[in-house]
Amino acid sequence: MGSARGLASVGASARVVAVTGAAGFLGRSLISALEGDDRVRRVVAIDVKPTSAARTKTRSYEVDLTLPAAETRVAEILAAERTDAVAHLAFLPGPTYATAWAHELESVGTMHVTVAARQAKVRKLVLWSQTWLYGAHPSNPNFLTEEHPLRAPRGEPFFADKIEAEDQARKLTQPSPGAVVTILRMAPILGPTVRNLVTRFLTRRLVPSMMGFDPLVQFLHESDAIAALRLALAHDVPGTFNVVGEGVLPLSAAIRLAGRIAVPVPHPVAELLTGLGWLAQLVEAPPAFLKYLRFLCVADGRKAREVIGFRPAYTSREALLDFVRAQSMRDVNLLPEESA
Amino acid sequence: MTRGPTSGGKQKRRGAPARAPEAATAKVKTPGPGARNRRPPRKRPTDPPPPKSPAPPLPVAAPQEIVTERAAPEQEAAPDMTSGPPASEPQTWGRAADRDGSEDVDEFGYDPHYEQKVLPFFELLYEKYFRVEVTGVQHVPGRGRCLLVANHSGTIPLDGIMLRLAVRREHLRRREVRWLAEDGIFHLPFLGSFTNRMGAVRACQENATRLLDQDALVAVFPEGMKGIGKLFKDRYKLQRFGRGGFVKLALRTRAPIVPVAILGGEETNPMFARVERLAKAVGIPYLPVTPTFPLLGPLGLVPAPTKWKIYFGEPIDLEGYGPESAEDEILVGRLTERVRGAIQTRLDQALSERRSVWFG
Repeated sequence: MGSARGLASVGASARVVAVTGAAGFLGRSLISALEGDDRVRRVVAIDVKPTSAARTKTRSYEVDLTLPAAETRVAEILAAERTDAVAHLAFLPGPTYATAWAHELESVGTMHVTVAARQAKVRKLVLWSQTWLYGAHPSNPNFLTEEHPLRAPRGEPFFADKIEAEDQARKLTQPSPGAVVTILRMAPILGPTVRNLVTRFLTRRLVPSMMGFDPLVQFLHESDAIAALRLALAHDVPGTFNVVGEGVLPLSAAIRLAGRIAVPVPHPVAELLTGLGWLAQLVEAPPAFLKYLRFLCVADGRKAREVIGFRPAYTSREALLDFVRAQSMRDVNLLPEESA
Repeated sequence: MTRGPTSGGKQKRRGAPARAPEAATAKVKTPGPGARNRRPPRKRPTDPPPPKSPAPPLPVAAPQEIVTERAAPEQEAAPDMTSGPPASEPQTWGRAADRDGSEDVDEFGYDPHYEQKVLPFFELLYEKYFRVEVTGVQHVPGRGRCLLVANHSGTIPLDGIMLRLAVRREHLRRREVRWLAEDGIFHLPFLGSFTNRMGAVRACQENATRLLDQDALVAVFPEGMKGIGKLFKDRYKLQRFGRGGFVKLALRTRAPIVPVAILGGEETNPMFARVERLAKAVGIPYLPVTPTFPLLGPLGLVPAPTKWKIYFGEPIDLEGYGPESAEDEILVGRLTERVRGAIQTRLDQALSERRSVWFG
């Protein structure tokens, strides 16, 4: 394929990349990375607010993907900027009580973006997804491959919306056969600057764990996450890929490395309390997430290594340690708390 | 000092290129017993003297370096771990060294340190309590992939651990057995993570294939749950061997099969009845009723000190069949029956020779 060739001749392939969710962590970091990339001519940032990462190449557009008019608006922007590729990163980093709004943003928003991309004849769509969508089950193989069905709890909007988003993105290839859709299913991202559900979980003084369960977990370093997105933008690699750090570690070891104290709770009790807390809007995640503290959900990164050539620089453990280092500085107020 | 959120990300990226070569070299060592055996021939004689001194990081940006690797993916002889910067000597200093001894567990969750801690107890069980006697361990190949197929027994399956200990203690090469455990156990608190840290892996084709591809020695108990749940009157009568999944596995990975008969395990907790409906409500597959169990409480689950004997049979070589014959249901059925027959014959023979359950 022409993918490798297109990259080798730098300059000839000056490209225009649109990034949705540009103000979020991934969007911001990706734009900073693309700003320093000579092969990219222009970055089109799409979000509800301007991104702080914008430098000379970036043009920011304020679009609310939850609005019905978003589709035409995005299509206009993409066409006007003659966009080659869209990195669709407009997803919430964690569950929210506003499930209806989240559905509009993630599921319907992805539909808007894909339809707009088709209208504007964008050649490539890179979608951010998560290995969590495989679901945590005791019957999971130790390493889930991309062919494995997505068995995350469908009743939980956080997962259902993202599974729908994947389906929407895959549909793009059907009417326009030339289009390249790359779905990157990433392991939970850790690093010195990222803030998400997992970092908040590991930031608590007392970390709840499920009594008698100690599943293996894996992480992805934030810089590896950005590197994977850039690789997918630079090459034509249609398909779905697990993007994970190498190695696994038991959840108990992860909590210990984070310097936190694990509090074992019997899982029926934890489910009851979390359920009540979620109803009362006191806890951060619904009880469906507790499964991930009990059972295995580890993905196999072999396909990404062989097809995209993605080699994570950090192992799961190193990603965790890198996060822990920054977090211990934050704990004593030597580093400012990051937002979002 | 107010660092914006992005500057941190940038800083990280600047750090990344310097690490990239190191990351690629560290990739050479994959966990798994096979990888260690295979490595020496990969050292190329034409290489410049191995960089004992810190190899200077290649001055290329990380993504571009990946690009060069990608340019010729077809040339790679092995699918993984060959490509990368020319210096393929694993780095043994700094962060890479830290990475070396860093993993608590291997990729399947086996924790050698944890095993060391509890090992004395199981050694005691092995030596003094069950007085395990091993015959024919030389049939287990000294290297390379191999599938041990054994009868499953005991209300509490200790046979996986005993088999592991037997091969480690008696075999010349002290090979490590990874045994495949039923799904059911991973539903349970404590027991699931315990067996996993001890080296058991959930029984499924994906896991077993991955292990065998790493040239591991894998033990399966094809009777599965039905084997453990055998009533006392059915002891040493082999149950159905699943759907022949283990034969398909051996055919696909071209691993020889060594039949193993374990004698003694089936009398440790003689079960007279199974309570199923009540147990299912609590989330366990069945509740055993033994002479001691519900009567004496948890103490009643202590296995009886029977004499154990483990017989390893002649390897059944499947070299003659290609991997595609795994789809041949008739062949798979026949081979399954052959393995089952081999184990059953050995069990029957051993039973007729045995004079006492307690003293062998």
